[in-house]
Amino acid sequence: MEKMLRDKRVIAILIAPSLIAFVFAVLAPILLSFVYSFTNSSGIGRFTFVGFENYSALAKDKAFWNALLNSALLAAGFILIQHPIAIFAAWLLDRIGGRAETFFKSAYFVPNIISSAVIATLWKYVYNTNFGLFNVIARFFGGEGVNWLGTGRAIWSVLIVLVWHGFGWGMLIYYTGVKNIDPVLYEAAAIDGCDDKKMFFAITLPLMRPVIQVNVTLALISALKQMETVYLLTKGGPGNETQFVATYLYKQAFQSGNYGYGNTISVVFVIICLLTTLFLNRLFRREG
Amino acid sequence: MTDKIKTKFSLGRGIIWVALTLFSAVQLFPLIWLIDFSFASNTEFFTSNLLIIPREIQWGNYPKAFTDGHFLLYLKNSLVVNTLAVAIVLALSICSAYAVTRMRWKFSQTAKNIILLGMMIPIHATLIPNYMIYDFLGVRDTLWSLLLPYVAFSLPQGLFLAASYMESVSKEIEEAAIIDGCGTFRLLGSVITPMMKSSLITVVIMTYLNNWNEFMMASTYLSTSKWKTLPFSILEFTGQYRANAAVQFAVMTLTAAPAILIYVLLSKHITKGVSMGAVKG
Repeated sequence: MEKMLRDKRVIAILIAPSLIAFVFAVLAPILLSFVYSFTNSSGIGRFTFVGFENYSALAKDKAFWNALLNSALLAAGFILIQHPIAIFAAWLLDRIGGRAETFFKSAYFVPNIISSAVIATLWKYVYNTNFGLFNVIARFFGGEGVNWLGTGRAIWSVLIVLVWHGFGWGMLIYYTGVKNIDPVLYEAAAIDGCDDKKMFFAITLPLMRPVIQVNVTLALISALKQMETVYLLTKGGPGNETQFVATYLYKQAFQSGNYGYGNTISVVFVIICLLTTLFLNRLFRREG
Repeated sequence: MTDKIKTKFSLGRGIIWVALTLFSAVQLFPLIWLIDFSFASNTEFFTSNLLIIPREIQWGNYPKAFTDGHFLLYLKNSLVVNTLAVAIVLALSICSAYAVTRMRWKFSQTAKNIILLGMMIPIHATLIPNYMIYDFLGVRDTLWSLLLPYVAFSLPQGLFLAASYMESVSKEIEEAAIIDGCGTFRLLGSVITPMMKSSLITVVIMTYLNNWNEFMMASTYLSTSKWKTLPFSILEFTGQYRANAAVQFAVMTLTAAPAILIYVLLSKHITKGVSMGAVKG
């Protein structure tokens, strides 16, 4: 048996396809990006190596810093707006029980199951200046129609869509956390005369701590990695106002033909994501 | 006793209902609005009402969406790409999880960590270089250019889930099977896989959710309609029917329908999958 578990040939057959997939689809592209990040390639034709020129240009690129700022705003939207409501909703779901629990839980998750392509196109209409839902509501209250995706306002409109779209996912994770709390604790607290508010803050929240940490980590990472919905909704515009890192690198490479520079952004993007993940894991591991 | 305490101390049930209904209204209203107006005629869009009852239900919006949106072709492509991706991820997850948790070799942990690294890498950072690689190899606009990244980026989570399950399960049954003369591959196929059913369902669901609605890679690597997936139905259609919002609403409803249908059928598993995937991912 020992011999069987050490069979090199079998090990190779089992692990090789996965490693090949990783090398071919993840590692090789990133290494290629790294090489091209030092060039002025435009995708076609000749190019030359330009040293760290792209990197120093990136450090001074306002659109890039704005993209990071947008990620930070989105992370704040997730953590300060979406998550508190999601925890509250998860807690209420647990209390209501029965068929209502199942129904509402599904209702919250439905937008998540729908593709970004539908969501982005739908919200373009919700924000439509003439007959969009938002302006119909605004006019109902006597306000005026507004260009929701126009300068100065667009980023907030984009954030609303993203916070709305991801709500069900975050809620579902909190819901599992709430469900894992032993009901005996609530019963004991009730006998001791605790009211609802006290139970929520003294039992539910503290016991949810690990779930909150996981969910916050996921939210920060997904705020950084954001792309599809934004790309389809605004393409990063007007100007570069609603650009995120991924939409910006895409624009540089495929619309402006700056392959070298696009690859530089890709490399920095990978580094930022790796560092953020490692930092958050370490932070929460030390605390826990 | 429980009931008594609950009624005595619970937040008024009325308030709970109001709050939950309010949240669901916010989450669902845009979708209800979408379905409602998909049956309207284009002129009826200019209204001050939130919802309308169309003067005449415009069933005709749907056939237009169906044919001009290449709905069937793209649905078929989505099904083929996703089924293949799920099947491959499943097989690779089981094999590689067994290799890193059970087999004894020097680099088993290293190999596992390398593959798991894929979870931290932002997919979209590979858009440019992968485009260049596929272009160079001549596989751009083929099934491979979708399948390969879909598999590679779902595999880390699959391996993670499968490996953490294998680690938690006792080795006795496997040892008995091996002593009975069962080879590694038969052991995997007929002993281990059936035992892991519930965690493998999670792998299936996470892979499906990752890839079914994927658009950026598909739109970067594909150029003809041969392998385009469902999200393209809407985007190509919006170009074609720019002035006809009602038909666009129909095509959106239509492309959202398969995913919603799958959700309704599998919602229990999806709920479990998402929470397991999150806690373990």
